[in-house]
Amino acid sequence: MMREKLRVPPFFRRRAALALGALLLGSALLAPATLAADVTDIGFVDQAALSSIPSFTRANRDLAAYKAGLDREFAKRMRGVRDQNTQARIAQEFQNKLNQRQHDVFGPLFERARVAIASVASSKNLSVVVDKRIVIFGGQDVTSSVVDLLNGPGDPIPPVNTPPPSNVGFVDQTQIDALPKLKAANDDFQKFQSDQQQIAQSKMKSAKSDADKQQVLKDYQSAVSDKQKQEIAPLVDQTRNAISDVAKKRGLLLVIDRSNLIYGGTDITSDVTSALK
Amino acid sequence: MLRARSSNVVLVRRRGTTLSLASLVTTLVLAGCGHGASTSGGDLSSASPDARVGYVRMAELVKVHPLYSQLARLDDDLQALQLRALGGNIARSGADVQHEELVLQHELDAAAAQTKIALAGKEQEYTRREQAAIAAALGAGAGASGPGGAQIASGMQAAAGLQAADVERAANQNLQTYRSELVKQDEDAVRSLQTSLSQRAAREYGARAEFLQKSEADFALQQATEDSSERLALRTKLSNLALDDAARADVKSQLDALDKKESDALGAMKNRDESTLAALRQRLHATAAFELNEQVAQIRKRTIAKINERTVDTRQSLIGQIGRIAGPGGGPVIPGGVSPDMKAKLTALHAKFQTDFNHDASKTIAQFQKTRSDLTRRFQALEGVDSDAQSGASKEMNDLQRQRGDLYNQMVAQIGREVKVLAQQRGINFVTSDVVAPAGGVDLTADAEKDIESLHE
Repeated sequence: MMREKLRVPPFFRRRAALALGALLLGSALLAPATLAADVTDIGFVDQAALSSIPSFTRANRDLAAYKAGLDREFAKRMRGVRDQNTQARIAQEFQNKLNQRQHDVFGPLFERARVAIASVASSKNLSVVVDKRIVIFGGQDVTSSVVDLLNGPGDPIPPVNTPPPSNVGFVDQTQIDALPKLKAANDDFQKFQSDQQQIAQSKMKSAKSDADKQQVLKDYQSAVSDKQKQEIAPLVDQTRNAISDVAKKRGLLLVIDRSNLIYGGTDITSDVTSALK
Repeated sequence: MLRARSSNVVLVRRRGTTLSLASLVTTLVLAGCGHGASTSGGDLSSASPDARVGYVRMAELVKVHPLYSQLARLDDDLQALQLRALGGNIARSGADVQHEELVLQHELDAAAAQTKIALAGKEQEYTRREQAAIAAALGAGAGASGPGGAQIASGMQAAAGLQAADVERAANQNLQTYRSELVKQDEDAVRSLQTSLSQRAAREYGARAEFLQKSEADFALQQATEDSSERLALRTKLSNLALDDAARADVKSQLDALDKKESDALGAMKNRDESTLAALRQRLHATAAFELNEQVAQIRKRTIAKINERTVDTRQSLIGQIGRIAGPGGGPVIPGGVSPDMKAKLTALHAKFQTDFNHDASKTIAQFQKTRSDLTRRFQALEGVDSDAQSGASKEMNDLQRQRGDLYNQMVAQIGREVKVLAQQRGINFVTSDVVAPAGGVDLTADAEKDIESLHE
């Protein structure tokens, strides 16, 4: 993405310095808007637009019809079932069925979309493609090119080259969260929160006035917030610092979560998990 | 559950909301990546001077946005609703309902057992009386040869009783199947009606709430815009170092008054809107409940009429069949060796006791049916209370979540516009809203905060 610094031979340094000065002057004379219009090698895709192409809408319809049938079957099975364990087991069974169907219906479409995005990114020399949701300004919108490719005849052809090195890094937060000490803290916090919720629910039942209910809510929020500050916040800081240190060592400009990345980027997850161990 | 506005906590940032299909698609396109991420804060001193890539910590910017108080209020409402979802005033707990159902079931079982015992007792009593009457009749007809009166009576009763029991069992089974089918159809119809009425009310409420919320947001922004020049002038005065204490206090009080004026006006509007929505909610609930009750009553009435009709038919058919069982000519099974006169007398006696027994048994059965109907009504009320309450709470929660989503998107869009202007001024050509930790990019959060805060002015 960002050009690497050129190693200039000493002979050319003076001339280069003059040229650079001229370039800077020229740049300074240009309006900021012109600078802003510069094309970087960061691209983005509006995935909502992808979901409206015919193959996805057909798949959505298919899944919706399947889900409607499943809902009816579910309602029939749940009728008269009062035992919470049985309810949970039935709900899980139906959720699994739906997940499997989603996988069957959308799996091939996602793979095709992935190849199309990679193909477009490669043809435009992009080092990274992210989700539009996290882009506030700039970057190349490659959505229409990807949509055209997906709507075209035949399957998109995967790029020959791997993505070029990128100054945009990413971490897989789920892997980081799975580290024993983080997972233990997270589980502990979730349990605490769940316990507090039960306590609050029980108090809410006996609360007589709106003021009482407000107080129950305040107490609950305060207990959860204190626990978060005590146990979670220090670990969050520690994780953030570790990511930041690795990013700086690797010369990265941004580090995003893997869930927002679609193509390319530099994976620093293993460096971060090593640093945190 | 963590509050959304605390979402800068990386460890616990995953959202537990149900994804719509569209968002599911967009999420899963990410080749199996997880859902969502949050911004994380950090210092910005490390930005490399030539970097033209920047980022903002959106969660922090959202907190300084003029509409944040509304967002926080919606978050609080959502959280309170989630906590109250199992509270007494919104829905009864599953355990409570289960307990009450058990109690009702016990009552029903007890009533059925009591009825069975009463019927068996009556049957024995009528058999005993019939035997005594037959014996007396045979004793009066002295000189007749053949079996004794008691023997004839008990033979008649045994043969007729066995066959009648078979017929009755089959008839009752058919009636029970018919009743179960009707009740099931009833339940399906009521459930579908309930869904349809709830959806209609939800649409009306949602449309109104959305309209009011948008009006509030517009009003807040309009106020902020209208007062901006006055506020700016006052702030400029305040920044004058030469201002004496009294004048400074005066300017500050003017600024406070301006804030208060805006806040009061918005507060009054919100109060009005809340009252409007509360009244609407009440009206919609009352209307839906009324319509539901009306239509459910009609459905139940039709079903009960059908069951009663079938019960009467079954009873008549049963009586007819049992009557026929009693003998080919409509009389009881009477062994040979009895004179025709005596045979006619015994047949009449049997028919009389059979009619008396049927009449008496009908009263007992009717009593049991009344008890069962009462209990069934209570069962239905119990189910109704539970599902009504649950669906009401869930609907309200969905409405609030949608309102929150709309408001949040509106705020983020406005923040995005401010950040874009800032980035252009700073010559930064790519800005993202989600980073997990600071790196070499430029952190625009602090500057953006100032711009966003100026929206208050």
